[in-house]
Amino acid sequence: MKSWWVPVLEVEGMCCQAGGGGEGRGESRTGGFVAQDEVCGHRPRFKLQAWSGLQTEKSAGSSAANSTVGVADGVGGWRDYGVDPSQFSGTLMRTCERLVKEGRFVPSNPVGILTTSYCELLQNKVPLLGSSTACIVVLDRTSHRLHTANLGDSGFLVVRGGEVVHRSDEQQHYFNTPFQLSIAPPEAEGVVLSDSPDAADSTSFDVQLGDIILTATDGLFDNMPDYMILQELKKLKNSNYESIQQTARSIAEQAHELAYDPTYMSPFAQFACDNGLNVRGGKPDDITVLLSIVAEYTD
Amino acid sequence: MSPVFPMLTVLSMFYYICLRRRARTATRGEMMNSRRAIESNNRALPTNVEIVQYAKEVLDFSSHYGSENSMSYTMWNLAGIQNVYPSSGDFTQTAVFRTYGTWWDQCPSARLPFKRTPPDFYSQDYVELAFEDPVYPTAVHILETYHPGSVVRVLACSANPYSQNPPAEVRWEVLWSEAPTKVNGPQARQFTPCIKQINFPTNLIRLEVNSSLLDYYTELDAVVLHGVKERPVLSLKTTMIDMNDDDEDEDEEKDGGGMESLNKQFSVAALKEWPTNGYFDKLPYELIQLILSHLTVPDLCRLAQTCKLLYQHCCDPLQYIHLSLQPYWARINDTSLEYLQSRCTLVQWLNLSWTGNRGAISVSGFSRFMKICGFELVRLELACGHFLNETCLEVIAETCVNLQELNLSSCDKLPPQAFNHIAKVGSLKRLILYRTKVEQTALLSILNFCSELQHLSLGSCVMIEDYDLIASMMGAKCKKLRTLDLWRCKNITENGIAELASGCQLLEELDLGWCPTLQSSTGCFTNIARKLPNLQKLFLTANRSVCDTDIEELAANCTHLRQLDILGTRMVSPTSLRKLLESCKDLSLLDVSFCSQIDNRVVLELNASFPRVLIKKSFTQ
Repeated sequence: MKSWWVPVLEVEGMCCQAGGGGEGRGESRTGGFVAQDEVCGHRPRFKLQAWSGLQTEKSAGSSAANSTVGVADGVGGWRDYGVDPSQFSGTLMRTCERLVKEGRFVPSNPVGILTTSYCELLQNKVPLLGSSTACIVVLDRTSHRLHTANLGDSGFLVVRGGEVVHRSDEQQHYFNTPFQLSIAPPEAEGVVLSDSPDAADSTSFDVQLGDIILTATDGLFDNMPDYMILQELKKLKNSNYESIQQTARSIAEQAHELAYDPTYMSPFAQFACDNGLNVRGGKPDDITVLLSIVAEYTD
Repeated sequence: MSPVFPMLTVLSMFYYICLRRRARTATRGEMMNSRRAIESNNRALPTNVEIVQYAKEVLDFSSHYGSENSMSYTMWNLAGIQNVYPSSGDFTQTAVFRTYGTWWDQCPSARLPFKRTPPDFYSQDYVELAFEDPVYPTAVHILETYHPGSVVRVLACSANPYSQNPPAEVRWEVLWSEAPTKVNGPQARQFTPCIKQINFPTNLIRLEVNSSLLDYYTELDAVVLHGVKERPVLSLKTTMIDMNDDDEDEDEEKDGGGMESLNKQFSVAALKEWPTNGYFDKLPYELIQLILSHLTVPDLCRLAQTCKLLYQHCCDPLQYIHLSLQPYWARINDTSLEYLQSRCTLVQWLNLSWTGNRGAISVSGFSRFMKICGFELVRLELACGHFLNETCLEVIAETCVNLQELNLSSCDKLPPQAFNHIAKVGSLKRLILYRTKVEQTALLSILNFCSELQHLSLGSCVMIEDYDLIASMMGAKCKKLRTLDLWRCKNITENGIAELASGCQLLEELDLGWCPTLQSSTGCFTNIARKLPNLQKLFLTANRSVCDTDIEELAANCTHLRQLDILGTRMVSPTSLRKLLESCKDLSLLDVSFCSQIDNRVVLELNASFPRVLIKKSFTQ
């Protein structure tokens, strides 16, 4: 059976490490997907170049009018219940991907994708447990608008001309406790934090050709400040598949290195200090980075 | 010898040679073409490229495991390419029917079968798939990913579901049909039945299934249709004889080709006069009736055409007390009902399930039939009757004053207001509303007036807002209730259960599968166990809160339990299951799939100690 991070995320430069060492296989708790739906319709102009190289099924005669990117970050601590933390986030993303591929969504309502996915998780015979943040970004090609939904502390950046023009807001209940979708065991009902998919932040804005959209889990944003990310993105010469993959991989690797640097003043450490906690160093965490560029659509 | 004779011989020989030569050139050209076409397919004159298609859309089906509007275990997964195949296992992305095995025939809500079912009709469920382009089918591949072996029939329809104009004639042809056979093991397989060639292009395929030999739910992933656009070259023999599409030979009748053939059998035929009936005159009337009662309906109609005496027998309404037209669903239309009218005046059990779709039966045709034949009706099966509308139900309520059993399973096109009429049938003992759009007010009305109800199915009735209210009404009014199907009733809580358990103490069967709002901590399952000691079947499928206490309560109180499903709970341990198995000696089905504390080793141990119980443990990988 295919693992959920093949082939989409590997080629997008995901760098995964188990938080805190010790786990042998190093399965990441984060997940993501890039998917194309099969909605027939107006002649599209833009697409997310991120997955130009990917195989996607197309039924004869339909043209894909939308592209969607999503990331999810599983919350640890579920191992105490004998639950694999990657199961929830992975299944959530796989379900979102399936929804998008089958066209069961409205592009201007990415929160709907989250809500429907979450409901579908409950329809699984397997008793899924766990919790996860989620960030979904949909490019509506015909209207050239980007619709986003973000629940928790994963997020996205939109970079235009070397500057961040849009970004998501972190949703936290309190320090290091992001908003999260969860399915709790019956004995822990009411004790486990469980936010409704409706609580997701939702934004829409126009995008232009050449805009870079970076979607990532908090492992990136907690370890790498904006200017470093922008520096890496400047190196992106052209919008072909290999360059994007290369850049995404290098960003993730760099963040990973910084995470284990004990003297480095990471954004996470900075925030902690601002709140009265005296810490330094990076924040070891699983990191998923998805890079996409808005490019011209050619049939 | 006269001189004329040699002259004649020479002339005839001359003519013979000329004619033969002309014949040879006329037919030889044809023969050469077809032989060439057969030998060298690539160089065939019209391009007969094989097109491979996956199903574009699922149009209709009789049941499914999943929830309406969901992608998990629902029939809609059969469209498109495969999601799981070649992996084996119990996955959400497949198409799953509601039932399997013989368990639903062994529980208190089991139905008595109709007599006179033809020996070649095994179908229990069906699904209809539309493809993009009509083709002459050359192969059909069915990708089964779990417990394969359910498909028993493949049919093709001449009507194009995407054409703008309604079709002139809707014809169903059986591509393949076989009795159910046991397939060992749950492993995935590609099933390619050997289909026959048909003489019309089709983009509407129907699969009929029978899961009675299967050990668990079967799951289908995709259906692939191979076909050619141009009519394929048939064998040499048939090319020569060239064909009239409306061939009415014996074989076609048996295969169920057109409605014409069946209606012809029903209609009055001119019968020959004979002076006596031979030995038949010596047999008592009742004996001939008894002999004829073993014939299937089409055979009865054919027999009616033989002589006046047998015609009289075959048209005797006593032969039509139990009438099942479901096996002939493809061929029943308004005309058939009209021909049957005069014979069905005493009909008590009528099965019109699966019939009448795509315009075959009209509302007026059905109403007319009901008004003549409805008075004695006791049992009426109308599953998947998409031709039904509110008027039809009104007619049923008016004419069928003695009706005790009504099956409207999967009549999902019936508007909600149609169900208002059911309350008028006060004698109802069994009502099946699985997957219908019945609304709260209509249902409350039914429960209020149909106090004789013993069997009620409300599975997947998504339009009901408050199941607690429904349960409360049941507890108050339906004291005789014995079986209740509340599968996927989304919002029933412990309050509804409490009222139900107090009021309906005769309950022997309760299906609460996939009801997520029931929490064990409220004591609702304990309540069920203590108040309903006659329970034989209890399904608590996918209720994640079922725990050891509940199992122990069942063990202590419900000793007649035969079927129990506790799929998907993490809170039940082997110890309490052992107590249950020791106490409930009649238990024959125990589904512990996805129960995390019950692993395969435990199942083996329990199997060894309790060999008569079939313990089901499904897996994903």
